Amino acid sequence: MIEAGHFAAFLALAASLAQAIFGLRGLRRWSGMAAVTGFGFMAFSFLTLVHAFAVSDFSLALAANHSHTLKPMLYKIAGTWGNHEGSMALWALVTLGFGAAAAALMNTGRSTFEAHALGVQGLLSAGALCYLLFASSPYLRLDPAPFQGASLNPLLQDPALSLHPPMLYLGYVGYSFVFALAAAGMIEGRIDSVWAKEARRWSLAAFVPLTLGIALGSYWAYYELGWGGWWFWDPVENASLMPWLIGAALLHSVIVTEKRESFAAWTALLAVIAFLFSIMGAFLVRSGVLTSVHAFAVDPKRGTILLIGLVAYGALALGLFAWRGPQLKGSKPWQLVSREGALMANNIVLFVAALTVLLGTLFPLMAEATGRTMSVGEPYFRQTFVPILALLLILLPIAQAWAWGKADLKQWTRWAIAGGALVAVFAALGVGIWKISLGAAFGLALGVWLIGGAFWELKRRAITLQRIFRMPPRVWGMTLAHAGIGLFIIGAVVETTTRYESTVALSEGASGKVAGWTLTLDDVGSIEGPNWYADKAILTAVKGSTKAVLEPMKRYYPAARMPTTETAIYKTGTGDLYAALGEQRFVDGQTKWVFRVYFNPLIDFVYFGVILIGLGGLLSLVRVKR
Amino acid sequence: MKALILSLMIALAADIPLEDPAEEARAQALMREVRCVACENEPVSQSAAPIAEDMRARIREMILEGSSDQEVRDWFESRYGEFVLFRPKGQGLSGFLLWGGPFLLLLAGLLIGWRTVRNRPAAVRAEIESEEV
Repeated sequence: MIEAGHFAAFLALAASLAQAIFGLRGLRRWSGMAAVTGFGFMAFSFLTLVHAFAVSDFSLALAANHSHTLKPMLYKIAGTWGNHEGSMALWALVTLGFGAAAAALMNTGRSTFEAHALGVQGLLSAGALCYLLFASSPYLRLDPAPFQGASLNPLLQDPALSLHPPMLYLGYVGYSFVFALAAAGMIEGRIDSVWAKEARRWSLAAFVPLTLGIALGSYWAYYELGWGGWWFWDPVENASLMPWLIGAALLHSVIVTEKRESFAAWTALLAVIAFLFSIMGAFLVRSGVLTSVHAFAVDPKRGTILLIGLVAYGALALGLFAWRGPQLKGSKPWQLVSREGALMANNIVLFVAALTVLLGTLFPLMAEATGRTMSVGEPYFRQTFVPILALLLILLPIAQAWAWGKADLKQWTRWAIAGGALVAVFAALGVGIWKISLGAAFGLALGVWLIGGAFWELKRRAITLQRIFRMPPRVWGMTLAHAGIGLFIIGAVVETTTRYESTVALSEGASGKVAGWTLTLDDVGSIEGPNWYADKAILTAVKGSTKAVLEPMKRYYPAARMPTTETAIYKTGTGDLYAALGEQRFVDGQTKWVFRVYFNPLIDFVYFGVILIGLGGLLSLVRVKR
Repeated sequence: MKALILSLMIALAADIPLEDPAEEARAQALMREVRCVACENEPVSQSAAPIAEDMRARIREMILEGSSDQEVRDWFESRYGEFVLFRPKGQGLSGFLLWGGPFLLLLAGLLIGWRTVRNRPAAVRAEIESEEV
């Protein structure tokens, strides 16, 4: 089976090369057929890997190293991509998948352009397959086959984490086709409204899964790592945040190209950069140049190859720019105060925000070259990234109402009064009643400002209330996404400024007080799962008339010789009461269990906000035929 | 005095929060800024490693002794090196580039954007019309 899959991957490589040759020669149909064929081969090839994992065929070295017979079926299957080689197979599969989808769905009426886009995508597919086959092959056999596998990293044995990589890859790799569209547009020397319509759809098709993939990863970190936080500014998280920021900039810039044919070269450049940042993410994670809790399967040689690929793709794209950039058509002129001006500011800020994350992530690496070891973490990003982005968000509700070309500023006094009043109210409430810092109060005001502003804009465009529900899906998409940012900010501000964390040590039957809750340790027992055993504590939490039972666990996976924390979360409606079971201690002849207990207020707003952003993106993809 | 030492010892042993909520909040903020020296990339607030526990205890102890936030940071830096601080220092050229870089980039970006618009001839600018949708 595996040999058939291995062979199919070579056939997929041949098909991708055919797709590239046909495509670059302008043969749209032939290139499209090669794309679909290649995807078929790769899908079969990938399924042979999944099959080997599902039936625990340990003659496959990859399965022997990363699977185990006792794992639940979901994690056997997810184990296929829970390692370097398998995840690269997934990367190749998704690249070919986007090629096939594009062959079926592209509809611009320009067959040469579409052929070129498929051709470039064919090159990218071939690149991914070469990397897979020659630098990180998942198809290697073991002889003799071991009796048992070494199991998947227990931290990854989790429902959210089985979905997180495919989602993230749909996003990362989705930008490969946006890159291909940009290259094809440059080859043609035509980046116009028709190009932008197509590019916008594929940018959204990448942005939505990227957003949800990041959210899934963050939620996993929140409940699985037992630290109570949801974003750690870890280099690997940053690696996914950078393409997201560039992707968000691209979504806004491409609208200007679609509606006004302005920003043409810049939009194409962003399309290229979005994909380069995605590959760089893979490079940072896989090369081991950065220390991270997430970096698994680290290998400097593979990193070097990825870096070469990154430079080659970048050089290819920049060469096209140098060649065709000057020929791009001029645009309709516009003044600084206009929707173009607003979206330009949006792009500058989002781009600088991405560069800030890059600077903070790579700075320790550069410092190391000069013999200095240093760290850049949350306090840095909080004082650079956050205020820069806040600047953009303050202006968002005002500037999104600006007209194309030239906007009037007649209403600025009303905006200033509304904004000033909001800040004053929240400052008074925050400092006087909620006892939070002025910065936090300002953050809350910003969240409310964004949500209010989003719906104000919807109403403005609909003119009358009745017409609101007849507004096109993409207007609703914009509204929900912008409101989602507001919701996210409220959650993020409240959670980071007023979360409560504490550690209590309890013996059985004893009680302790945390964040107004009385916690009683009723029992600690041993339980067994399919491939783990655990200490499970039963805590009763009481506050007023509310009573909750928390059952945090400390699991031990013998196959991987590794413990994990399984936190217990009780949702109170206003926040999460969160408990993680820690070490066992002997104090004064008594056995005590240490618990880390957190109260995370409004944490769900963070996730709802991000889901709304994703949902908004999805709605923006819907086209209504009139 | 004996009671104080005893309570201090218990606090050190079991990771118990300081009694004054304001002091505990300061301690927790610092714990998020100090890097666990035995871990991959985690602040001491998040780590289960024994050394992180000792470092947390040291932070609480210093705050109890009346040290300022900066004194706590300085103590850790003198002991473990710059590596231990998640808040990189702002001194020197590298500090300037790191902390000032993002804002300089933002200024440069806005300046470039502004100049692109400004460079249009006045006659073109006068003809621009406003358009909805």
